[in-house]
Amino acid sequence: MYLTKHLNMSQSKNRLYFFLGLFVIYLLLTVATSFAQDQTDTEYRPFPLIGSRSAAWIAAQLHLLFGSFILGVPMFAVVIEFVGMKTKDKRYDKMAQEFIKLCMGAFSTTALMGGVLVFILIWCYPKVMNKLSGIFGPTMIFYVILFFGETFTLYLYSYGWDRMQGRVSKMWHLFLGVLLNVFGTAIMFVSNSWLTYQTSPAQMGPAPDHAAIPLHNEETGEFIGTLWQAVNNYTWMPVNIHRLIGNIAFGGAIVGAYAAFRFLVAKTKEDRAHYDWMGYTGNFIALCGLIPLPFAGYWLGREIYMFNNTMGINMMGSLFSWLFIIQAVMIGVLFIGANYYLWSGMTRIAGGEIYARFRPYMIAIIVISVAVWMTPRTLIMSPTEMAAMGGQNHPLVGPFGLMTAKNTVVNLIILTTFLSFLFYRRSGKTPTVGWRKAGNIVIAAIFGLAVAAIVTIGIVGFSVPTDFRVNVLTPVQVLVALAVMILVTVIDLIMYRKAMRSSEINWGQMTDRSQYVLILLAITFTSLMGLMGYARSGLREAWHIFGVMRDTSPDAHTPLLADAVNMIAVIIVIFFALVGFIFWLGLWGDKKKEGDPPVEAEAATGDD
Amino acid sequence: MQRKLIRIVSLILMVVSFIAYIAKAPAFPIASENLLPWSTWFFIFALANIILWQSVVKLLSFALMVIWFYAFAASIVPETSTATIDIGDIERTPEAFIEAGEIIFNGKGKCNTCHTLDPSAQPGRCPDLTDIGTRAATQQPGKAAKEYLIESTYEPHKFLVPGYGNIMPPVWKPPISLTELEIETVIAFLQSQGGEVDLTEFEPPVDIGSAEVVVEELPPLLTGDVERGKKVFVEGAKCIACHVVAGVEQPAGQTLDEGVEVVAAPDLTGIAGLNSLRYIEESVLLPNAQIVSGYGSITVKTGGATIQGTLVKQDNEKISVRVKDAAGNEEERTILLSELDPEPIEELADLTGEGYFWIQVTLADTGATVSGDLVEEDDENITLQVGGETQIVSKSNVKVQATLIDYDENVIVGELVSENEDEVTLIVDGEEQIIDTFDIDEGPTYSRAFGKRLVVTSPMPNNFPLLLSVSDMSDLLAYLASLTGATDAIAAEEAEATAE
Repeated sequence: MYLTKHLNMSQSKNRLYFFLGLFVIYLLLTVATSFAQDQTDTEYRPFPLIGSRSAAWIAAQLHLLFGSFILGVPMFAVVIEFVGMKTKDKRYDKMAQEFIKLCMGAFSTTALMGGVLVFILIWCYPKVMNKLSGIFGPTMIFYVILFFGETFTLYLYSYGWDRMQGRVSKMWHLFLGVLLNVFGTAIMFVSNSWLTYQTSPAQMGPAPDHAAIPLHNEETGEFIGTLWQAVNNYTWMPVNIHRLIGNIAFGGAIVGAYAAFRFLVAKTKEDRAHYDWMGYTGNFIALCGLIPLPFAGYWLGREIYMFNNTMGINMMGSLFSWLFIIQAVMIGVLFIGANYYLWSGMTRIAGGEIYARFRPYMIAIIVISVAVWMTPRTLIMSPTEMAAMGGQNHPLVGPFGLMTAKNTVVNLIILTTFLSFLFYRRSGKTPTVGWRKAGNIVIAAIFGLAVAAIVTIGIVGFSVPTDFRVNVLTPVQVLVALAVMILVTVIDLIMYRKAMRSSEINWGQMTDRSQYVLILLAITFTSLMGLMGYARSGLREAWHIFGVMRDTSPDAHTPLLADAVNMIAVIIVIFFALVGFIFWLGLWGDKKKEGDPPVEAEAATGDD
Repeated sequence: MQRKLIRIVSLILMVVSFIAYIAKAPAFPIASENLLPWSTWFFIFALANIILWQSVVKLLSFALMVIWFYAFAASIVPETSTATIDIGDIERTPEAFIEAGEIIFNGKGKCNTCHTLDPSAQPGRCPDLTDIGTRAATQQPGKAAKEYLIESTYEPHKFLVPGYGNIMPPVWKPPISLTELEIETVIAFLQSQGGEVDLTEFEPPVDIGSAEVVVEELPPLLTGDVERGKKVFVEGAKCIACHVVAGVEQPAGQTLDEGVEVVAAPDLTGIAGLNSLRYIEESVLLPNAQIVSGYGSITVKTGGATIQGTLVKQDNEKISVRVKDAAGNEEERTILLSELDPEPIEELADLTGEGYFWIQVTLADTGATVSGDLVEEDDENITLQVGGETQIVSKSNVKVQATLIDYDENVIVGELVSENEDEVTLIVDGEEQIIDTFDIDEGPTYSRAFGKRLVVTSPMPNNFPLLLSVSDMSDLLAYLASLTGATDAIAAEEAEATAE
């Protein structure tokens, strides 16, 4: 009873915190329109000390990071719960529940950050909010409804976890999980419409050229479209999909970091084993999200070019061109880190060492590929330097700066990472099928042919017209990589279906170093999100709504990349401090529970 | 206890150095200013914490190190800002003006695109402005520092630093369009570079309001098509062979017309964001009108040898010329101006325009030889700096040397006494000699003085008006006018594959 009482108290506090957050966000969202309309005379109000832009930037980015976490984590919580139900392995169920516990704290923080953001926007940018709420008012009401739906579904999903066991109840519980994700995704889609509209406020014209159809009177700036046209703007769906996949990867990475933290401070072998397994699962999910992410980014990039060529040029070739070199550094770290973690993981499986001989070559491929990806297209040079180098491009390294080279190495990195995972999956298993040798030869041949095809396409890409390369060769390269992954996975699954397991996975037998890699991946993911958020928002340059509503505030300029990344660093520190606090709360709560007397003992004392 | 103390101090120092780095605090205030930057301090302390601590603090140190690494990486790559500042109600204090001026210098004014503030940096298109706050007072005789800075910003063409072309646009004109107050803050910022800031209000030498009307009244220039213009740029006129535009490549295997050589030419990526359309138009039609520093061709004679190359750098004492040897290897040669060979000057007119900086004349009345740096010139006199003094020489009071060749192929050189349709009278070796014009095969050519000069020309062919049709030229100009800092659309589109 003592435990029950303790849990009830803890839940009551959570509820209070929750409702407080909900109340704030509800209040701010519902009064946003009327409040903003009363303030049409004032365009801007300065935020004390740090300025309006910094305040809005910090609040928006923190809201987004927590939002990504609480949207990403429930997705795989449901998947893992389903796996647990199917395999009847209680570990999965426990882990999924633990994820959702983490979500609860993060959910309130997300709501509070959203409330703070709305407050800052209404206070500092009343005219912008007036304009946006004038167009998107109905969606804001819809947002609030969805928010309530998500909140109460999360409540039911989380607090009903232990109660809703058994086959039928579990099905209902899973349904709640799916519903939670539907609400979460819908919320994200709605809010994405506001910010994507600021970037690309036009309707996509008919094929084949999809020319932009303005939604505003060019003279007065008055909105002349429909709500759906504003929502369904050029970048809305690409951002939706990109964020959806990104949230999965980000959620996985944060869970991986949480597991790493718990692994490093674990006192018992059991805990180390559990959190090692959780870290592996988090990393696996992060990888699943990471691999298709560049393709979603490609789509988003194309839509930006279609909406406004200059904006696209600014993004990739001018104002933000070096940002994409930093992005390449970060993605390089992600892939190298993820591979390192997989290779470390093989050490906990007896039999995994037979694949160690391939590691040096795989490391070489990944490192060289990352180096190519990081090669800048153009350098800023003085005439003397340019003369010394013999032109604007280096005679040997210069070609690596071209997109055909970069696309090639991206596909090679993805395939190498896939191969790492394949080796990991096979570690400690021996296939029993008679055609295993032939199967291995076929898989090796598929890899060999695919690499040859990708490299050949890459080389051909240097000498074909750009249109052909962008529209034909690059998609073919991507399809080859995807086909290899699908084909090899199918063959491998069949080959290892009845494989003999020569050894079990010794969960917990991981180096501390590998756990630091999980932390590295989480920080890198977060930094990458911050960096790309700066790019997405900065693309508007001196416009609140691109081409419609000019930014005339003192902050109407794009800051330097270094200044932006400094700001992102500050945000990341705040984010991880808050996440660390939530993690610590989990740890603290667990310690408290460990210290509680057993339920039987309570019963024996007759304490009611 | 001691170990614990070391740990805690190390932790505090790591946090402090991280905050200082992110806040861009000045270097650690002990010892010299060149002491390690905050980034290095942070790295050292983070490393120390990783070694000294266990679990949570170790993790924290590692996490901060990763965050720092990305911030550090972003701080060392080239970057662009569109920063500007609203100075409508700026406080009239040196600190406020300097701060605002620096932002405008690096942002809206785009001054940092061409000017540097670091003497060790590679020379830019325009002069380095290190210590310009003090140097401004000595740039032009009789002109105070602030007066010089005002003229340089409002009317940059009036005085050109030796070695630099007339390429700076008046910053109050479009596309930069600084206001009077913004220019004042930039001047304050420049004064703060080694000098004292003087915020005394002044009357701008140009009435910006009325001048803007003139700009707007110009007929429209851009009737061309940007895409076709790009084709002209890359394939028609083959400008891409020498000029750089970020994201635009020279087609593989492209050959140039006979006699046209590939040379390093200015980067045009952001040309329309820096200069007016009139400047761009003039640069295409009259390449020699204004030559960007570091890109001009020069031919000089020294010790009897002719040196031809690209003028890289110039100051009052020497020039640096990049030359190519027979094998095509390039080297930079420094030549003292005092070592240039003097060349005969036929007419004493427009000496400055002809590039002369040193003159030697023989005075007709006294026979004395006078030589020195050319200070100024008008229709009647030239002023030379001889030793520490200035000396005015009348153009009519110089001995004229004549050279002619008769039909016997004798070269006759002498001092010109008189000349008419029938005869030329010279003093040759102290004796007067009258030569019948009927006997003269070549000449006479005259030399009124000897001078040293630097003539910088553009290596860019000047026949584009003949090579290109009117519509091609119009398209080309439209394309150049679109280069506001963005790169080529198609090439950039290629790069989108890595977006996010």
